[in-house]
This record gives sequence, C-alpha cells and structure tokens, in this order.
Amino acid sequence: MLKKLFLIPALTLSFMAFANVAVIVHPSNAATLSQDDVNKIFTGRAKSFADGKAVEPLNLADSVAVKADFDQKALGRSSSQMKAYWSKLVFTGKGTPPKELASEQEVLDTVAKNPAAIGYVSSGAVTGSVKVALTLN
Amino acid sequence: MLKRKLLAATIAAVFCGASQAAIDINGFASIKGGMALSSDDELYGYDNDFNFKNESLAALQVKSDLGDKLSVTAQLLGRGASDWDVKFEWAFFSYDLTENLRLNAGRLRTPFYKYSDFRDVGYAYDWSRVPQSVYGLGFDNIEGASLYHTTTLGAFDSSLQFIVGSYDGDAAIGSSIADAQIESISGIAWELGQDGYSFRMAYLVGKTTFYVDPLDNSTTGLFTQLRAFGLNALAGELDVVDESSSFAGIGFNIDKNDWLIVSEVTKAVVDNSFISDQESYYISIGHRFDTITPYVSFEKEDNKAKTEIYAGVPAASPVFAPVAGLVNQMETERNSINVGVRYDFHPSAAFKAQYTNADNKTTDRKDSVLVVGVDLVF
Repeated sequence: MLKKLFLIPALTLSFMAFANVAVIVHPSNAATLSQDDVNKIFTGRAKSFADGKAVEPLNLADSVAVKADFDQKALGRSSSQMKAYWSKLVFTGKGTPPKELASEQEVLDTVAKNPAAIGYVSSGAVTGSVKVALTLN
Repeated sequence: MLKRKLLAATIAAVFCGASQAAIDINGFASIKGGMALSSDDELYGYDNDFNFKNESLAALQVKSDLGDKLSVTAQLLGRGASDWDVKFEWAFFSYDLTENLRLNAGRLRTPFYKYSDFRDVGYAYDWSRVPQSVYGLGFDNIEGASLYHTTTLGAFDSSLQFIVGSYDGDAAIGSSIADAQIESISGIAWELGQDGYSFRMAYLVGKTTFYVDPLDNSTTGLFTQLRAFGLNALAGELDVVDESSSFAGIGFNIDKNDWLIVSEVTKAVVDNSFISDQESYYISIGHRFDTITPYVSFEKEDNKAKTEIYAGVPAASPVFAPVAGLVNQMETERNSINVGVRYDFHPSAAFKAQYTNADNKTTDRKDSVLVVGVDLVF
C-alpha cells in the first residue's frame, strides 16, 4: 500500500514532464493563434494581436520544466538558442525579451487579470480563469 | 529633528521618482585564456605565455524605461586588455516613433558587420571571436543617431537601419594606430530573414582624416618634408585629410536543420591616400549536436598596396625609399583557418575552444593560437 502511494506522485511527475503546452490568453481575448503567430509574438517580431491590440508576452524562468518544451515546440529552438537570440537584441537596444515569471501559477494569475497578456503553461495546469488559444503537442 | 524629517521626505521622494522608471540591468562577460602554439608565434595579442587578460571582458547594461516610448540605455564595459578600465561602450536614448520605427541617438555601435552590434557578447555567437580578417576596421562606435525600422515584407522579416554621425578616436592602419576623425558618416544596413535564412547588406560613407606623427608632424613628418621638396601633389595623394571613404559589406546566414553557415564579404576604401583598399571575407560552417556545436571557418584578408602612387617617382630620388616603404607596408595578404567548438553547459553560459592558424603570405609568417574560455550572459 505504501509503495503504491509512492508510485502515484512518481507517475504524476513523469506525466507532467511530457504534458502538452497550452498557450493561454485572457477569457475576453477572441484571438485564435497559429504556432507561427505565437513564434512571432515570443520573438518580439509581432507586437500586437491580429485585431491590432498590443500584446504582452509572459515567459517562464528556465527552472520551470515547461519552458524548454515551449521553446522547442513553439519557437523551434533550445532555451540556450533563445537566450543567445535575445542577448543579440537586448545588448543592442533593439528589443526587450518577454517578462519572465517564476511559476506557472504566476502566469495563470497574470493572464487571468490582463486582457493584453499571453502566456503558456503545461496543459494540466490550465484553469477556468484563462482561455487556451493554442495547444502545442 | 526638522532636518531629519526633510531628509526622510527627500529620500522618499527620490525613491518614488525611481519607482516610476522601470530599470533593467543585464550583463555579459567573457573569461578567456589562450596562448600562441610555438615560441615565435604572435596572434591577436597572444604570445607563447598563457594569457587570461587579452580577450576577457565584462559589461553591465542599464536600461531605464521612462515611459511614453522613451528609454535610456548605457553599457559599461571593461576589457582585460585595457587593465579592466571601465568605459561607456555606448550610451543612447531610444524613442519609439511607431511600433516599427525606433530612433536611437547618442554613442552607438556602427552597423558595419552582421555581428557589429554584439561582437562583445560572445554568448550570442558560436566562435571564440568574430573573424578578425573582416572585423578589423579598428573602430566600432560613433556619436550620432540611427533610425531602426522593422517590418515584414511578404514572408520576410526586414530590418532596415539608417545611421548618421561622426567618429573621433583611434583607428587601425595595418598594425599601427592612427588618431582618426571620420566626419559626415552616413550609412544604411538592411537585413532580410526568413525561416533560418538571412541576407544582409551595409553601405557607409564618410570623410576620413588620420594623424600619425611620423607622417603628419608639422616639422619632422614625411608629408611635411615632401612638401618642402616641392612634391605637394605626391604628399596630397598620400596624406589622409578629409578623404572620401566608403565601406560596403554583404553577407548571408543559414541556420537550418542544425547546420549553421555564415559568410560576409567586405570592402573598405579611403580615396586619395596611402591606405590600401581592404578586401576581406570569411565563411564559417558548423553543426549543432544538441548542446555541442563544432565549426570550421576560413578567413581571407587582401589589402593591395597602391603602388601607382609612387610610379612616377624616380628610384634614385631620396624620397623614393620612404614613400615606397610607406605604401608597400599597407600590403597584406593573409589566410586564416579556425577550428572550434561551443558547448552549452549551462542555460546562461557556454564553454568555447578555438584553434586559429593565420598564414601571412606578405610577410611569409605562420602563426597559430589556441583559446579556451567561457561566455556568460546575466
């Protein structure tokens, strides 16, 4: 019995590691997004949604597992490559990377409050207070 | 007591003021050690003794967002080669005229090359150093203004930069340093990119004046003596006084299926002067194996001496030797081969090692150097 109890959190953890990535926006945001749109927003090449409203992308810290999945699935690059990409822009005054938050909970809270925000969390973490604009497998 | 209250109020006011401006602090550092591989070799400042200072550097960048699309950026950089004396590498304000158009003014990086803007940020590229045969103009920054425009043209991302300004400081002439003034600089740099492919071109012009004491000193300088011999026309063809100058560069970059290919070709010309026309190129090919990226690159520097300047001077003339010597000294033909690797061992740091062999055909010298180090961003 005790062994089984240990097994459950272990399974949950491994499931989390392979979870899909949900790109989330405020419930009032009607935007439907393609992977290319998300790529443009999170690389600073698009600064507004299709309806012209300004967009505020939210990134996660490197220590959060879903960050590496997002970089690979949405942006097609490793987290190191993304850091190199942003260091080119930051140290030349040509761009500012997305604001970085420390946890998925902070992303959920911020997106729930801010109609301009776009963030990402693992699919399992999505709550009713945000809207999933795109799921990346 | 009153004084204390005033002090407290002042401090509170200062903090309130500060809290309205969002301040971002970023930094980068490179710690590199290297040495030439045989006792007579010298390259990029390395000799046969292991040296940690030569190419190491550290920088802090402070950006303050003042709101209403206005921000101020200053970058403080210290180089080991200059005993870590910290200087303002650049300091400028930015104003976003529109979502796609930004005005920068102040001390800026001149957009000669693809990697000009971040050549000091080693983390941003795979090599241990940008190819010196091409990135060898000897100055990087100007005081001026630039307009930076980004947009999408069909499937392409376009970034277009116009720059105007002037430069007053050191510049490289061969292996010597001149006191240089470059006035009325204007230029354009344009980069087009799509899905791992990018193409870039840059063209800049300016009016160049160089002062080198053995040449330009008003009593002992070579040019002064030529004029004393009545050779005003010859002196005028040699000296570098308000001469029309141009820089042209094109380059491309491919980052596809983990293959990385980058190349740039440049030409720099200072008209009506002893400065040779400087033609250079490099091509680099690498492959990314997850966190390990090995690469090889080839560089060529071909500076042709303007021997036509002294073609009309009789060999028996006493001025022939010094004039021909000066002009010929500008000749350089050098091929370099680099082999290296980048290893991303940490999300914010990369280990790098690079071997370079430079074959100078003009002086018949071969020099090689090995450098290892770590590049970080924070």
